[in-house]
Amino acid sequence: MSALTFELKGKPGQRLDLSPLTPARLKDLKPKDIEALAIGTTRVALTVGDLFKVKGEDASALRFVGTDARCDKIGAALTEGEIVVEGDAGAYLGAAMKNGKIEVKGSAGDLAGASMSGGSIAIAGDAGERACGVFVGDTLGMKGGLLTIGGNAGPLLGERMRRGFVIVGGNAGDYVGGRMIAGTILLKSKVGRFAGYGLRRGTLIFMEEPKELLPTFGDCGVLEFDYLRLLEHWLRETGRPIALGGRARRLMGDMAALGKGEMLILA
Amino acid sequence: MSELKIKGVTIVETFAEAFPMVGTRIIITAPSLEWALIAARTMTGFATSVIACGAEAGIERNLTPDETLDGRPGVAVLLFTMDTEKLQRQLRNRVGQCVLTSPGSACFAGLKAEKSLKLGASLRFFGDGWQVSKKVDGRRFWRIPVMDGEFVCEEKTGYTKKAVGGGNFLVLGKSHAAVLAACERAVKAIDEVPEVITPFPGGIVRSGSKVGSKYKGQIASTNDAYCPTLKAAVKTALPLDVEAVMEIVIDGLTKESIAKAMRAGIHAVAEGGATQGVTHVTAGNYGGNLGPHHFHLKEIIA
Repeated sequence: MSALTFELKGKPGQRLDLSPLTPARLKDLKPKDIEALAIGTTRVALTVGDLFKVKGEDASALRFVGTDARCDKIGAALTEGEIVVEGDAGAYLGAAMKNGKIEVKGSAGDLAGASMSGGSIAIAGDAGERACGVFVGDTLGMKGGLLTIGGNAGPLLGERMRRGFVIVGGNAGDYVGGRMIAGTILLKSKVGRFAGYGLRRGTLIFMEEPKELLPTFGDCGVLEFDYLRLLEHWLRETGRPIALGGRARRLMGDMAALGKGEMLILA
Repeated sequence: MSELKIKGVTIVETFAEAFPMVGTRIIITAPSLEWALIAARTMTGFATSVIACGAEAGIERNLTPDETLDGRPGVAVLLFTMDTEKLQRQLRNRVGQCVLTSPGSACFAGLKAEKSLKLGASLRFFGDGWQVSKKVDGRRFWRIPVMDGEFVCEEKTGYTKKAVGGGNFLVLGKSHAAVLAACERAVKAIDEVPEVITPFPGGIVRSGSKVGSKYKGQIASTNDAYCPTLKAAVKTALPLDVEAVMEIVIDGLTKESIAKAMRAGIHAVAEGGATQGVTHVTAGNYGGNLGPHHFHLKEIIA
């Protein structure tokens, strides 16, 4: 069976809410019913059939083709299955998802993976602001799972994050890990200002030393961390070979908050 | 005694009687294999018999860096007791006193099972509030600050109630040296078998016991039927020319692994044994009424 494919026919005239298009919701629907699902966000009613050419039948693996930055909430509240986006994704990509897998070949908008609690999202391009941040109506950011961003991440990456793992291949904006409660963010390149602002617990791993460090972080010097070896092994086993080594400079903070968090700057 | 022989060594037609145990496996890693072994040997010290040690434990095998979770050399350790509560207590005490304390060590789960024992879940309190919990690949690890950096310890490890303790065989021979050499060969062969340990010193026990004693309160006493110095006084099981008897006791995570280990051990004993003076291989049992697992030597070596 081929993946159930949604091909965007033309530029949407309004932002779209694609949250109804998840494997769990679509698995028992007939093609006619799928095309009748409402995805509009304004008073102009809009259905799947109005904007997408629907092909294929395997609802456990969805494919979006030609989507752009107005296609919001792709894979939001996902509980199972796989979604591949051949194009860009709008805001709230995989927000509040619990399980499953999302792969975006382009870039994603704001709040990608917001308050997600499980599963994995891989964005090949950039992510907007507040990736893994707080979903509307929630009090915590990401609560579990894995998000990888191949390109750059916007500001406030991992805001109020509680658990989970984030990898950023490119640069990250200001306030990375802002008000983070726990969890881990691995930053392979540059970061903006105020990294770790309000960090309570949790780990920010920097492969490149940040230009500016908050004065509310205390230095513990360069040390051995078996934890980094554990991470490196896991990353390699899951097809993401990233050399971390075992040594890092540890800074504890944010001392203006609880102060049990850490920055590990690889040595 | 019957006439079943391997390479001149008589295999007595009897059976080893073994008991159900609860068992677990943990993985200890360290900066070098030497230090992983030091931690493992310390943790499995004084763990020959549940009679007075509280647990039976041993090193199952060494692990190469690509077999461990943190890419360092490691050692797989097996620990057995008679019930789950004791296993939990022994695990906590032994890892807490012998692995946590060992320089550069880390400790991971070694058994996947539905039910689990606390590992880092109780040792984390040593961190006095500075311990850090990290979830990697759905498994929780504790990073406990210690004087040489951090002790990384997995939250829990699985255990099995299908473990078997007391798989055994006895080696009889015309000289002490021959029996010892044969038993050393057997222990070496058993080392290659997965899921088993030989908990006694060097894998060999020379003081096999029988149940009960003439003294009140002594629950086990010397197995006089196999003591060569008592041949004339007791109902001996030994021919006149047998000078020494040694026993190999095997604990394993499964019944099958014990059978494999006994087979490997007995064949290693027989290999060149007769020319050196090994005469018989037999096994210890209590008439078959005490333990549910019976390993008949005839079937084992077949």
